[in-house]
Amino acid sequence: MTVPTQKPARKLTMQQRYAALTHDLDWDPTYVAEEEIYPFTTFEGIKVHDWSKWEDPFRLTVEAYNKYQAEKDRRLYAVLDGFAQSQGQLSLTEGRYMNAMKIFLQGIPSGEYQAHRNFSHLARYFNGPGARFASLCQSMDELRHAQTEIHTLSHYNKYFGGMHDWNKMSDRVWYLSVPKSFFDDAGTAGPFEWLIAIGFSFEYLLTNLLFVPFMSGAAFNGDLPTMTFGFSAQSDESRHMTLGLEGIKFMLEQDEDNLPIVQAWLDKWFWRGYRLIALVAGMMDYMLPKRVMSWKEAFELYFEEQMLNGLFKDLEYYGIKPPRHVQWAIDEKEILSHQVYWVLYQFSHAAAFTTTIPNEEDQAWLESAYPETWPVFKSVVWDKAQRVVDSGGRYFNPGLPQLCQICQIPMGFTEPGNPLVQCQRHSIYEGERYDFCSDGCQWIFDREPEKYVQAWLPVHQIYQGNCGGPTLPDVAVWYGLEPGDAGEYIGSMDHQDWLKWHASSIKEG
Amino acid sequence: MQFELRTQVIEPRRKTFSNLVRRYGDRPASRYEEGSVDIQATENFHYRPLWAPDKELYDPTYTAFRLTDPYSFLDPRQLYYAPYVQSRAASGEAFSKSLDYVDSRGLLTKLPDGWAAIVGELLLPLRHYEAGAELISIEGSRFAYGTTIDQACTYAAFDRIGNAQSLSRVGIVFNDGHAHALAEAKEKWLDDPALQGLRRLIEELLIERDYAKELIALDLCDQLLYAVLYTHLDEAALMGGAGAYSLIAQHFSTWFLDQRRWIDQLVKVWFADPEFAETNKAAFNDVLDRRWSQIVEAVTDYSAALDSRVDTGAVAATSANAAAVAARLGELGLTVPGGK
Repeated sequence: MTVPTQKPARKLTMQQRYAALTHDLDWDPTYVAEEEIYPFTTFEGIKVHDWSKWEDPFRLTVEAYNKYQAEKDRRLYAVLDGFAQSQGQLSLTEGRYMNAMKIFLQGIPSGEYQAHRNFSHLARYFNGPGARFASLCQSMDELRHAQTEIHTLSHYNKYFGGMHDWNKMSDRVWYLSVPKSFFDDAGTAGPFEWLIAIGFSFEYLLTNLLFVPFMSGAAFNGDLPTMTFGFSAQSDESRHMTLGLEGIKFMLEQDEDNLPIVQAWLDKWFWRGYRLIALVAGMMDYMLPKRVMSWKEAFELYFEEQMLNGLFKDLEYYGIKPPRHVQWAIDEKEILSHQVYWVLYQFSHAAAFTTTIPNEEDQAWLESAYPETWPVFKSVVWDKAQRVVDSGGRYFNPGLPQLCQICQIPMGFTEPGNPLVQCQRHSIYEGERYDFCSDGCQWIFDREPEKYVQAWLPVHQIYQGNCGGPTLPDVAVWYGLEPGDAGEYIGSMDHQDWLKWHASSIKEG
Repeated sequence: MQFELRTQVIEPRRKTFSNLVRRYGDRPASRYEEGSVDIQATENFHYRPLWAPDKELYDPTYTAFRLTDPYSFLDPRQLYYAPYVQSRAASGEAFSKSLDYVDSRGLLTKLPDGWAAIVGELLLPLRHYEAGAELISIEGSRFAYGTTIDQACTYAAFDRIGNAQSLSRVGIVFNDGHAHALAEAKEKWLDDPALQGLRRLIEELLIERDYAKELIALDLCDQLLYAVLYTHLDEAALMGGAGAYSLIAQHFSTWFLDQRRWIDQLVKVWFADPEFAETNKAAFNDVLDRRWSQIVEAVTDYSAALDSRVDTGAVAATSANAAAVAARLGELGLTVPGGK
């Protein structure tokens, strides 16, 4: 009898196996120069000496990726199908909740999609295979998020206004130039700046502030599909956060000359991202019928506590300081959402969502969340708006607002410490004057004026006749707005439908 | 007997998003359409890329191949993310099963000598070819104009890095759990004359800066390489006592059939474009002019090396494949150098 010789133990550890499957696929080219294959990784001034030092904390292979993601999507789409079949929109807290999701659909999938395209840029043009493969996986994820968000909200689009032309609107409508210019800015930068802008600042520093209000807001307001999407995206997001953190550490560890470059990007992209999510602040405090927490609480928890007192303590080791202008953001936390929502309220006749005056219950909540600032805003703004409504009207601002050259939000922010004085800064570049909402935006302009003078500012474009015509109705047509998309929520098509659906006369079939 | 479920019926205001109604009329849309058509921004870009100041962020002129309407290309497989990962999870599982079977029976370690040489010296080095193919494909994911082309390129890129990883796993099983076969294969990729034509092609394509020209040249090479390596050799392996090779090869030839579907459709749409058909033919002819002989030579060298390990008539097969591909290209109105 022959005894089979025992098979020797597998000689590769998991780590070696992973390296063999991924990093080892690279080779040093000899028929062409390496810098011709990867021409974009030097002009930003970032010095990399050893790409192999890039760590992949997840060690994900293609096989494992496909398996996990397929399972997640199977579950998500089962929920979407069930929700549509059961007319799940009837179980929302209120019809006006949908306004938060209109802003989400108009602003977020196009951003996810931009992230997909630009992570593909990194997946092609980073010299190191580890960094490239991580970027490739993130590119796939971002495409997933764009599509799953569209599919999640597709059912609502059939029953509510404001969502039907989200892709055209994200290219054209005034407030959507805020997210568009943000992602355009990052995508037109170099690959390392993209990594700090999106991979680190957006996906790590600010991600909770962006996603928690929407996803928890969905959970609190009966929006099962969006909540399920949120849970489903969570494990992708944690990979993205890790990539962002790995990216910044990698740059800082490669060469000490990288520190000032990275710090300046961090300063820029903190402020850029913070201004972008000001829209979220207005949404979470004013548009959710059931609140999760206030913007102020979210900012304190997710930014001041987790980032300033957590992450930045770790980054001190590398010489990284908290973002320039962070104090301004802290000082604004009690007034930001009030100011943003007031802008949205007075210009919602030209928007693809509706707004309304906070009702009694909303006001009680606002008073408890913002005991210092709400009473002031109420008397300065909302009492007047209410008087207009009481006399049978609705206040809309008849003019066009001036926009900040950088963040592109209408100039409605105020001087630090003085919430009644509008803040206005300006710089002169090549004889032209450019206006800004804050020190942060002015600082960003002054670093790269040749870039920011190119901005496609919606109000300028209307004045120049590039938006369908000179009158508001012309512009609204060009925006793709249809009856029921814009204006006041009370009495709107969405509101009327909501009342009709919940009246006892719903047909059975 | 069926029971009658009662649900509330609410008349929807619309069936799908407005862009799809404008394109296809007032009908319900598929998830592929909702998630793929008109997603990419097309106007009012804010800033010029620092690395390409003469272009927009998304710009049809990143390639010489143009479409009047980028969405005249729709993926015939209708793949958006969810069905993509589901189909790849299934094929990945099938590949793992084959590989586990081969591994548990030690079939790759018991290959006849000639076949072992083919696997170790000629098949495994192609994991680097696949890795290069991934880089070419992902360039389309960034630079294609329109989401449907971008998306097909993205999945192709992920497929190809997956192919590279699958070949690496074959190498580890071939080596009974070790990685030195992969190290040796890499040396072959770098130095073996039989592989230099392929490596040179990949490296040169990576500096073209026109994703579609790169993609087309790569695809021409794929058509010859996959035909000889995974189809022609598959049959020979079954006859030659190398069943393990056949088990592995079938996964790659199956993948390539799927890959062909979207590329053939893209070419068809390019050549049917109302405005750019001739532009696109000229661009394709430019690729043929500069690359066809190089590709045929590279795959012929490779085939000769295959024949030197096991004489299956690989060179003759490649010659016949090249003639067949050239004939198909000729039918499309293209000019193939050398009259092939």
